[in-house]
Amino acid sequence: MKRMTIVQAINNALDIMMAEDERVFLLGEDIGHMGGDFGVTRGLWEKYGDERVRDTPLSEAAIIGTAVGAAMVGMRPVPEIMFSDFLGTCYDQIVNNAAKMHYMFDGQFKSPIVIRTATGGGFGGGPHHSQSVEGWFMNVPGLVIVAPATPADAKGLMISSIENDNPILFLEHKALYRVRGDVDESKYSTPLRKAAISREGTDVTVVASMKMVHESLAAAAELAEEGISVEVIDLRTLRPWDEETVFASVRKTGRAVVANEAPKMGGLGADVSAAISEECFSALKAPVRRVCGLDAPIPFSVSLEKLILPGKDDVKQAIKAALA
Amino acid sequence: MDVLLDLYRDMWVVRAFELGLEREFKKGNVPGMLHTGLGQEAVQAAIAQSLRHTDAFFPDHRCHGLLVLAGTPGEKIMAELFGKATGVCSGKGGSLHSADPSVGNFGDNAVEGSMMATALGVALAYKMQKRDDLAAVIVGDGTSGRGEWHESLNLAATWKLPVLYCCVNNGYAISTAVGKAHATENLYEFACAYKMPSIQVDGNDIVAAHKATEEAVDHIRKGNGPFFIEYKTWRWQGIFSGEFRPDDEVHYWREEHEPIKLAQQHLISSGIADAAQLEQIKAEVEAQVEDWITFAKDSPAPDPAKATSNVYVGWEIAAR
Repeated sequence: MKRMTIVQAINNALDIMMAEDERVFLLGEDIGHMGGDFGVTRGLWEKYGDERVRDTPLSEAAIIGTAVGAAMVGMRPVPEIMFSDFLGTCYDQIVNNAAKMHYMFDGQFKSPIVIRTATGGGFGGGPHHSQSVEGWFMNVPGLVIVAPATPADAKGLMISSIENDNPILFLEHKALYRVRGDVDESKYSTPLRKAAISREGTDVTVVASMKMVHESLAAAAELAEEGISVEVIDLRTLRPWDEETVFASVRKTGRAVVANEAPKMGGLGADVSAAISEECFSALKAPVRRVCGLDAPIPFSVSLEKLILPGKDDVKQAIKAALA
Repeated sequence: MDVLLDLYRDMWVVRAFELGLEREFKKGNVPGMLHTGLGQEAVQAAIAQSLRHTDAFFPDHRCHGLLVLAGTPGEKIMAELFGKATGVCSGKGGSLHSADPSVGNFGDNAVEGSMMATALGVALAYKMQKRDDLAAVIVGDGTSGRGEWHESLNLAATWKLPVLYCCVNNGYAISTAVGKAHATENLYEFACAYKMPSIQVDGNDIVAAHKATEEAVDHIRKGNGPFFIEYKTWRWQGIFSGEFRPDDEVHYWREEHEPIKLAQQHLISSGIADAAQLEQIKAEVEAQVEDWITFAKDSPAPDPAKATSNVYVGWEIAAR
């Protein structure tokens, strides 16, 4: 075990996979000698060279298209899109090409790519460096969305993602990059489509993702002092998400709050809460509540940004409302 | 047999396939939309002749004939266009997504130019895998307006990737003339800007189109990086509401500069074949195409289980 940040944990996963499998290669903007905008690929260019750690021009569609094409002929590319806000420039490649190929060619091609991208707000990045984009992709059959919240999961999920045969959007929350945790230095994998129970509880279930896992855990710790027992579930895979774990928890607690940072309308929170209402209605003692970003872009000023993004206090409030 | 006679037969495969398909489409037997390659037979024959099964090619919307020339049995392509179980993608892809990796056919993409980015990846992988195969991508003139066109040319040139760009310039993107919407009517000039070797060739002259394609492929196989060919041609099909081009233009391309007629004149005047032989080739191909159509018509609809299979690799999707 070693204390690592999420940046170091993902770097470690990439290093392990590149050392083990020469089909794995990286491409993206400034990922080579610079090591990426957030340092996730630091040291890999020195170790694996220009061929396998490719600096690209600002051509996001070509980055994803290149990854898809290489994956079609047996490679395991891990493209990086510097900020998830930029995924709009390669949306077509992801949605119409990577995600549909296996289906429309009836299994004759696969597109095993892992698109790494920095996402989320909370650091004054402004409207085009702060968004949570999972909602843009929730409606895309064939695509997998992975979103770790801890260093150990970040590493294990990255290894599982590279080994998986489906196209994967791997969301790395910027506010979590420096979160530290114990990470096994050897190779291990964390299962996809399997949520983690981050904290066990009996009164209410909070279904969270990425930074909202930490906000929810902080809320749960404070509410424990008031005698409220909160179960926190970290979805880890957002699409397709782990209905089994979520439903079992909600049937146990009878109350559910869904917490994610993206805007409320049409997002992950909408899908999870609707599914809980459909499948667990008879077990519910209160309406399912959502804690999400407000339906607004992310403003630059940190004082304004705080008003848009959800946090610990919003989770506490929703839990109390569910218990009222 | 002379390669030109082969090419002549190939041109007839494209012609007869599309004429048969168009007839069936008008009868309501072919679902969806139809983009035919009529008028572009020489381009398709030339490209197919120069590629091998270990190469990858990304066809454009008008390449039904080329898919057959690449080596997929004609009935499997026809059945795919009819949406049948026996189609090359079990009826799930249709006209624009009829892939067959066994012959190097990597499938079209309805979003024009998308495959120009995908082709980069195939070419890069082949280079990393130390193969001397190439990735060919066939695009229309209208695609030169897409961002991926420029991203692809730039990266292929910068990384010296084995990509063959086959630009089929038929003068119009649906109804919009090339010159009306682009900075140039000569699309090879875009390649020049990216410092990529290129050639503009008469796409209705099978001899010239064949020679240019062979030379481009040879250039790429020698490890020299990408090559761009602009084939000047013309499509018979108008727009969905009918013919919109001037009469003299239609006359020129359909009567005076029609690719099969030009090939016939060349074959006969150079003594490679006589009129009777050429007529026999046409009749043989036409009969074959009718067999493919019959096969497609008689084939069953896809198994309902196909509707939900292969969404993910290894995972099932939820039932309704």
